[in-house]
Amino acid sequence: MFHNSSQGKFWIFKSEDEVEQKRYKANQKVRNKIIESGKPGVSESKLLEHHEEDVLFRHYEKRMLDFCNAFKPVMPKSVVGTAIMYFRRFYLNNSIMEHHPRIIMLTCAYLSCKVDEFNVSSTQFVGNLLQETPAGQERVLEQILEYELLLIQQLKFHLVVHNPYRPMEGLLIDLKTRFPTLENPESLRKNADDFLTQAAMTDAGLLFPPSQIALTAILNSASRAGLSMESYLNECLGLKEDKETLSKMYESMSRMKTLKKYELPKAEEVNAYKKKLDRIHAEFSSSSNKRKRGYEEDGHVAKEARLTEEQEWTDEDLV
Amino acid sequence: MEQYNILGRIGEGAHGIVFKAKHIETGETVALKKVALRRLEDGIPNQALREIKALQEIEDNQHVVKLKDVFPHGTGFVLVFDFMLSDLSEVIRNSQRPLTPAQVKGYMMMLLKGVAFLHHNNIMHRDLKPANLLISSSGHLKIADFGLARLFSEEGERLYSHQVATRWYRAPELLYGARKYDEGVDLWAVGCIFGELLNSSPLFPGENDIEQLCCVLRVLGTPTQDSWPEIVELPDYNKITFKENPAIPLGEIVPDTSPQAVDLLYKFLVYPSKQRCSARQALLHPYFFSSPLPAHHSELPTPQRGGRPPRQRLQAPPADFSVDLPLQNSVVDPAVLQEHASCL
Repeated sequence: MFHNSSQGKFWIFKSEDEVEQKRYKANQKVRNKIIESGKPGVSESKLLEHHEEDVLFRHYEKRMLDFCNAFKPVMPKSVVGTAIMYFRRFYLNNSIMEHHPRIIMLTCAYLSCKVDEFNVSSTQFVGNLLQETPAGQERVLEQILEYELLLIQQLKFHLVVHNPYRPMEGLLIDLKTRFPTLENPESLRKNADDFLTQAAMTDAGLLFPPSQIALTAILNSASRAGLSMESYLNECLGLKEDKETLSKMYESMSRMKTLKKYELPKAEEVNAYKKKLDRIHAEFSSSSNKRKRGYEEDGHVAKEARLTEEQEWTDEDLV
Repeated sequence: MEQYNILGRIGEGAHGIVFKAKHIETGETVALKKVALRRLEDGIPNQALREIKALQEIEDNQHVVKLKDVFPHGTGFVLVFDFMLSDLSEVIRNSQRPLTPAQVKGYMMMLLKGVAFLHHNNIMHRDLKPANLLISSSGHLKIADFGLARLFSEEGERLYSHQVATRWYRAPELLYGARKYDEGVDLWAVGCIFGELLNSSPLFPGENDIEQLCCVLRVLGTPTQDSWPEIVELPDYNKITFKENPAIPLGEIVPDTSPQAVDLLYKFLVYPSKQRCSARQALLHPYFFSSPLPAHHSELPTPQRGGRPPRQRLQAPPADFSVDLPLQNSVVDPAVLQEHASCL
């Protein structure tokens, strides 16, 4: 139940500003850390600005979505939704300059599969990296396992994510049973689904409870079809007497619609920032292996070898 | 970890060592379950994830063990629980004489309250057994070990594993390989635990999966399409057939037991899962409202950890009722009953 969930208690924020502020701080913190490290060649201009990080964040988020959608066996929506939410939560307090998103996104997807009981073996999981050789897949898997502990820590061990998909099914059932005025509630599904897909790529899930997102999806779909749902809200959801809740709800729904829309970042921007990012990771990265998962039996030698592999492994190998 | 003083080792859990420790700041005694991540092929074990998942999202309940904290430590992480003195399997094993009817009732009531709470929160425990029912120093029973727990009513047609639950407490549909099942598997286990409390020995002690099914069939009778319509859809239904035999009245399986106890036992030990009595419903059974009333937790034995003989009591264990004892020893705390007062 959402009201006493860790999501409701710890991961719903007051405003977009608050969320943006957190990301800005995470960016500043790592910038300062790298500058202070005084590594040769470090300069402000070589590091990523907050808005540049944002471009790459959206780029990798889209890649994660593509990876999940192409996944065999078909990944249930809730698994994908949870993975995206992990990714967004992780980068609220972390910078992509410290932890590279191409491995974090896979770690998020991997953890989400396990938490949501979508049982695929680790080999099966990396088997979905179609461009990789078996040896390459093996290397990626090692990295995923290395980052898993860091991820779960950064998620504050809050693993259950409430997605809007179930509430939407609930609302559709409710419409069918209690709102006969609406002839064919199923006709709302397509647009409502699209709305949820879009919403997953915004901060909606960090600002609103999943049931509100689902309701907005339904109402949005209805209004596009020219159907009035006012009496459903008034009568069936019993909001007629409760003007305050009703107006609050309308307010958050209109806020949701004005949330920064997802736009695919421009290719040239992505390429330019990606070069910067890869150089940062190669030259200035301080992400110590100690913070990642160090396997108990791992020898020192193996760890160093893995570091070079990490640098060699480029995005182009993925998906 | 610096916040805790390790006092000793309690045992080895499914995914790590469990220590007894003292929280330095509060002086509280806790159990620390260390989940070490050795080179495991699949990373953080599912059991640990399930435990965190189930326990983190529910509110406190008197009869469910509380996950007080999770924190990273070394190459893994640590789960912090209330420290519990013992568990129900030790109580059954170590009690020098059979539990009194009032004590059995007391344990059943706490167990059912915990199970009702979990099911209300959409959690199937899937591994209820006496060893997972911890007993606190105050005699309270708390459900623990959520390594197999699952949130149910998830969307879609997800299949579950039938390799859950410890064999003796495994519901018949699981023994027939069911991949879709419900919280009824917990209610079957509750029935088995009930029988074990009454008899001081396990009800269906099968040595392997086939024999387990034999044990159950011997008592409940060979299932027919009438007594268990869904059986034909179970994966292993046709793989094995048993010689037909009639059911044995449960009163013979748990001798010297009150008719009401037997009646309640019948409500759990039925083949079709949907027909098993829900925990919430069971709490309203006349069994709990007739003499002897459920024992107060202070009247329940609390043996020491580690199988040592139970602490010598200075006085004989309280009888169900005695005129020599103060009245409050013999009656149930009204607060315990209050929840159910409306149905009286």
